[in-house]
Parts: sequence; C-alpha cells; structure tokens
Amino acid sequence: MNKTDEQLVREAQEAFDASVDGLDAATLSRLNRGRQAALSELARPGQEWLRWLPATGVAAAVLLVMITLRGPGDVDRIIAPAADLDILLSDESIEMLEDLEFYSWLDIQELEGDGDLG
Amino acid sequence: MTAGMTVFAVSCTAKPKGARTLQKERQLGEFLAEVERRALRIAEIAVRDRDEAMDIVQDAMTKLVRNYSGRGKDEWPPLFYRILQNSVRDWHRRQAVRNRVMVWFGRANSDDSDYDVVAAAPDPTGRSPDEELENSEAMRDMETAVHALPTRQREAFMLRTFEGLDVAGTAVAMGCSQGSVKTHYSRAVHSLRDKLGEHWQ
Repeated sequence: MNKTDEQLVREAQEAFDASVDGLDAATLSRLNRGRQAALSELARPGQEWLRWLPATGVAAAVLLVMITLRGPGDVDRIIAPAADLDILLSDESIEMLEDLEFYSWLDIQELEGDGDLG
Repeated sequence: MTAGMTVFAVSCTAKPKGARTLQKERQLGEFLAEVERRALRIAEIAVRDRDEAMDIVQDAMTKLVRNYSGRGKDEWPPLFYRILQNSVRDWHRRQAVRNRVMVWFGRANSDDSDYDVVAAAPDPTGRSPDEELENSEAMRDMETAVHALPTRQREAFMLRTFEGLDVAGTAVAMGCSQGSVKTHYSRAVHSLRDKLGEHWQ
C-alpha cells in the first residue's frame, strides 16, 4: 500500500469516527432501547414454546376440521400436511424462509461446533 | 480431601446460575454498547437509510444474543458483524425484489438494468440541519463512494477501516478466506482513491 492509500484510509477512519461521535441523542436513545430489547432475550429462554402457540392452535383447528370432513380413517394422510401447515404458519418459519442463507450459515456454524472460528 | 468435602468445596465456590446469567448479560451489554453506534453507521452507509439501518442493527443484536450469548466474548465481534452483513445483504435482496414488483405494477419508470442504487439513494443535501452538522461534506463524499463499491469490496473496506477488524476477523464476518479479504480490501481502497481523488478532504 503506497502513501496515498494510507492517507486515504486514515482520513476515512477520521471522517467515520467523527460521524459516529456526532450521532444525535434521539438516535442514541433508540440504540439503547434496541440493546435492552435484545438483552431481554437472555431472560426468557424457557418461553420459546410460547412463540409456536398461535400457529400450533391454527394447525390443530385445521386438522380437526379436516378429520371432521373426511372421517377418522384418513388421519394418517392428514397429519403430514397439517404438520407442514404448522411450520408454514409460524412467524419463525416465515422469517427463516426470508433469511434462508443466514440460517443455512447458522446451521453450519452449529455443526462445526466451538473452537473453529479463530 | 474426601469426596464429600470436594463436592462441598465445589458447591461453595461455583457461581450460581443466576450470577452467571447476570455476568453474561453485563458482558453482552457492554459489547453491544461498544459496537452499536459504529454498526449503525456501517449499516446506514450500506442501505442509505437510518431507520432501515436501525432495524438491521436491532435485528443483529437480537440474533447475536439469542444464538451466540454462550460463545466467548472474543468471538462476538466477527459473529456480530457477520450477522449484520447478512442482514444488509438480505435487505438489498428484498429491495431488488420490491423494485421488480414495482416495475411489474408500473410504479417505477425503469427496468432492472437501469436501476442505479446511488441515484436512487436519498439526496444528501436534503438532510436536516442536525444531520448536516453530524455529517461532514467529506464523509458524505466518502459514503457515496463506499456505497457505490461492489458489495464484497464495500464489506471488506467497512469492516477493516471503520470497524477495525483484522484480516482474520473480517474473513469470519464475511464468510470468506483471508486472501479474499485482502483482495477485496485492496481493490476497494484503489477504487475509492480513483473516485475521490488524491485531494479528498
């Protein structure tokens, strides 16, 4: 890297730092609230199942209607699509579909385990 | 020491679960407070919209806490910025889809090949006086030039220069090799020098 590149990088750092220091109070307040909201995730790991409750309820209702309409003999054929419906209706899965690449990466990270990121 | 005494000693010295959680929360809080402002500006440069950038940073913070609070705090910076970069890329994909939909419904007057991200970005001169104060003319020129870089070059430049990640950390954050980071970064610096000129600032 020649002298001009080093100067450009240093000046870019200075300009960026100045823009960070110049963030207004309202923005800093929003960041603070966002951080607190993110940290609140730590306090409720045991309530994860609650997020699935609405979708599970809808899927159960759909299953009940299908059994009622088609009769109990078709239960096995009905359960599989109902389970798919459960997954598709949850907010979490919609987010997963939108962030497929990210979750694919997340899965890979989990499989690789600790100690391989340094 | 008997086995019973050993168990007693361990039970007396081990931190209770609640204390460990509080310590983890404190460490995560300190980390997020340290990176959030820079992350916001990095996201803002990438998407050219503060509200959208705020949502992206909030999302990244939540995902880090939800998925990686158990990791060592040394691992948090590259993981956080990887999540952030993924979120930014996802945002751009959604914008591209949205733009195609708008074209389909005739609410845009150009096709994909004519779409210019820089030209479509908010006019820097239209910012409020407060924002004008907080962003110097030089930074606006830099932001425009950085935003116009190819995605990978932009990521490498911002992570290395603005966030100060080293090559290894940037490679983790970008999900590529260290050699690729060096290549993208070098090209970004040369491109910026060409665009901004040697007398920038």
